[in-house]
Amino acid sequence: YQDLHTFELQAPTRLIEWGRGNRVCVAGYGQSGGNEILQLLPPPTLQVKETQGLCPERDFKVECGGFSDRPVYSLKYVPDTSLLVTSGPPDSSLQVWQVSAEDSDVIKSLSAIPTENGAGQPWAKMATISARAPWVLHGSRLASVQVTEVESRKKVYTAASGSSEELSGLAFLDCNTLLLCCAKGQLCLADVRQPQSPLEAASVPSALCGERWCMGVGRGPQGSDSSSQPVARLSSGGHLTLTDLRRTSESLASARCRVPSPASGAEFLCVSWAPALEGCLAVSGFDGTVHVYDTRSWDGSGGEAEPIFVHKGHAFGGWDSGGSPPLVTAHTWHPQKPRTLLSAASDGSLHVWDWVQSCGKF
Amino acid sequence: FPEMSYLSFFCLGPGAGQDVGRSCILVSIAGKNVMLDCGMHMGYNDDRRFPDFSYITQNGRLTDFLDCVIISHFHLDHCGALPYFSEMVGYDGPIYMTHPTKAICPILLEDYRKITVDKKGETNFFTSQMIKDCMKKVVAVHLHQTVQVDEELEIKAYYAGHVLGAAMFQIKVGCESVVYTGDYNMTPDRHLGAAWIDKCRPDLLITESTYATTIRDSKRCRERDFLKKVHETVERGGKVLIPVFALGRAQELCILLETFWERMNLKAPIYFSTGLTEKANHYYKLFITWTNQKIRKTFVQRNMFEFKHIKAFDRAFADNPGPMVVFATPGMLHAGQSLQIFRKWAGNEKNMVIMPGYCVQGTVGHKILSGQRKLEMEGRQILEVKMQVEYMSFSAHADAKGIMQLIRQAEPRNVLLVHGEAKKMEFLKQKIEQEFHVSCYMPANGETTTIFTNPSIPVDISLGLLKRETAIGLLPDAKKPKLMHGTLMMKDNSFRLVSPEQALKELGLAEHQLRFTCRVHIQDPRKEHETVLRVYNHLKGVLKDYSVQHLPDGSITVESILIQATAHSEDQGTKVLLVSWTYQDEELGSYLTSLLKKGLPQGTA
Repeated sequence: YQDLHTFELQAPTRLIEWGRGNRVCVAGYGQSGGNEILQLLPPPTLQVKETQGLCPERDFKVECGGFSDRPVYSLKYVPDTSLLVTSGPPDSSLQVWQVSAEDSDVIKSLSAIPTENGAGQPWAKMATISARAPWVLHGSRLASVQVTEVESRKKVYTAASGSSEELSGLAFLDCNTLLLCCAKGQLCLADVRQPQSPLEAASVPSALCGERWCMGVGRGPQGSDSSSQPVARLSSGGHLTLTDLRRTSESLASARCRVPSPASGAEFLCVSWAPALEGCLAVSGFDGTVHVYDTRSWDGSGGEAEPIFVHKGHAFGGWDSGGSPPLVTAHTWHPQKPRTLLSAASDGSLHVWDWVQSCGKF
Repeated sequence: FPEMSYLSFFCLGPGAGQDVGRSCILVSIAGKNVMLDCGMHMGYNDDRRFPDFSYITQNGRLTDFLDCVIISHFHLDHCGALPYFSEMVGYDGPIYMTHPTKAICPILLEDYRKITVDKKGETNFFTSQMIKDCMKKVVAVHLHQTVQVDEELEIKAYYAGHVLGAAMFQIKVGCESVVYTGDYNMTPDRHLGAAWIDKCRPDLLITESTYATTIRDSKRCRERDFLKKVHETVERGGKVLIPVFALGRAQELCILLETFWERMNLKAPIYFSTGLTEKANHYYKLFITWTNQKIRKTFVQRNMFEFKHIKAFDRAFADNPGPMVVFATPGMLHAGQSLQIFRKWAGNEKNMVIMPGYCVQGTVGHKILSGQRKLEMEGRQILEVKMQVEYMSFSAHADAKGIMQLIRQAEPRNVLLVHGEAKKMEFLKQKIEQEFHVSCYMPANGETTTIFTNPSIPVDISLGLLKRETAIGLLPDAKKPKLMHGTLMMKDNSFRLVSPEQALKELGLAEHQLRFTCRVHIQDPRKEHETVLRVYNHLKGVLKDYSVQHLPDGSITVESILIQATAHSEDQGTKVLLVSWTYQDEELGSYLTSLLKKGLPQGTA
């Protein structure tokens, strides 16, 4: 490690979201209420690109917090506003919150965005954008995908699809293009301006259809063509496949990561591209580790890939109340520092780590 | 009875500047006035460093107004203004603190006095004699020992962790109490345990909340970083200066370095500046019971405060070539030996200074941590700082999780958050209020907070009454309050609950009976005894849970209520029912009357 900071949150989180000014948001997912949404100010070491010799503080500061009765499974900041949206069981509705750090340090619950026939549906996956207006793209199944204007709660787009395929993720590729990932692995594209149902763009080999899939979309600089960055899909069996959205007929590259057996379920599967390290992605959710891979060395064979770094810190936590070892619930890359990641686990730990660059490579 | 009961809280701490500098709190509880801590602000060189005691009382004597002063621990921001307060402003009452605090305070106060007066030439400062006179007023207390300040006021100290001798204090007057935490921490460290308090249920818990919004990096990572930095510097031949407060973190860092040096087989010398610090180790050994289990155990095997690799420092060593590590006082580089060494080493970029604690504004420590690299020294000399400046925070304060833990332990009815900075603490306030269903206050300096309490008044109950009440009804439920009826006798400062009969007897009063009689007219041409039978059968049918009897003399009783029937004097077709009851049976009596007024059903023979 170049750097390693370990923190303990009062309650575990399954999300780490970046906000304005490199703020980080985490939230509790306990079933019995009393969950806290915390917006954290990271220590100065994480706020600059180059680590300066001087680091007066090493701690996160809770800048503001809110209380949620529901477990918070997903949270997204709404860009250019002081709002954020959350979702979680028992249905697919969204909750809208206001972060006003000026006069108070409380994140206030503003309103809810209900969904038709939302009761009993799985929790909604979300993505936000503020191009024409602050929008949230959300839904738990293909049929229920919609884009809603956050403040007015007006429906801007509804996917005209009858498919009840469950979704595992969604994203705005640009202000008009939506990318949807189904739990069975298919990728679908849709245009906000077109009323037709989303088109299936890519599928997965039928042999792997029984696994659960999630996706990771590259975060290119603002305004760049996001469809130029491949989309990574990760399965509960450890299969990784990269797809170029301009040539979706064949997979760009694929590999397999080492997955412990018995597999621990697909609840917290997460794959993400490094914003500042070309071709690198991180994978977590199988156990208490986070794997970093360099995909430039992959081919289409789907063989086992060797990670360039493995963060094992959470596995040594050892204080999970259920007696089972901690499971990494979320990870995210630092937007500017190339090799810095944040990861959280089911025991409440939150790690910030940075690995030593080995010569010639990453 | 007091008309209302209240505690009021007043913070005499830092002024509008609002940075962490000094603690001084005034609490009024059931007519008693207690001062909690008496700190000094180290960043100011004028009167702003002392709290403004004129807030307390404009012309009265402080000794008359205050019942006692309590000092939580030896940090100067909690006790630094004590000699000024007692000897220059004037206070002759008792000052309470724990034994280690009493032993260490005068050393720190003298040290600071020497630097301020001798080196800086200040005049309006307390003298050595004043420190001695002040300490004569100190009464040392043991942990968990109940100390009677006067007939009504008592205090008790609890272990607070944080530094050697730090305590949280419970202040009790009758059944009202306040707990003041001072500085504390809920996670044990290498040489001190975690704070602990019993379920004392105070009316108010005053807790520090400066670090409530902090999520701390784990100790292991901080230590790893510290050792890495020291090692790197020493490996390249540089010198490491670690300014310390003689008592506190220094011991922990010594233990850390000693273990590391042993494990890595390092040869560079480590020095600890003498004088103050030797005394510190001496005191630690004396108060070994105040450290945590682990140290105590290790102390038996090997004296943890005598180090193999750490030697006493001599001023001349600072000029020796080659790598070394030096612990020197004072901690903020504001004067003394650490500043001397700093000036010698500052110009070499191979060297490093590691600040192990918070530095108050105005000190050299604060300046270099803020990034200043050109410092103006005495005589307008400019010192260029090329050495590496690092900050390693090891201070042990309670974070939000720790505060919640303490509240869970003590179960206060109200919580008050003391914070040095003008921060918004609304989130923590709501968190506490939601989790514990108590009121939470966070006053600013100079603000008075009034908290209304509900004192319980203990009352003796006569055995006879108790037996009678328990004989009546259901079994007592420990969780539900039981409603009892009796007479409250207040005599000679005692309260007793007795049965009415006993009360009357004791007071020499005769009991009067109050009886009500009501006439109900019923249309019934039959003979009186037939009417009575009809009434009896009707009541027997309706009042199944009550004892309804038909007596030989022709009257009916329902429990203790009597019903008699007579013919109307003028109208034979009307019967008059006389219903009679005592005051105690008012409810049943009224009910019977209205029932009978409704008339008798037809066909009851």
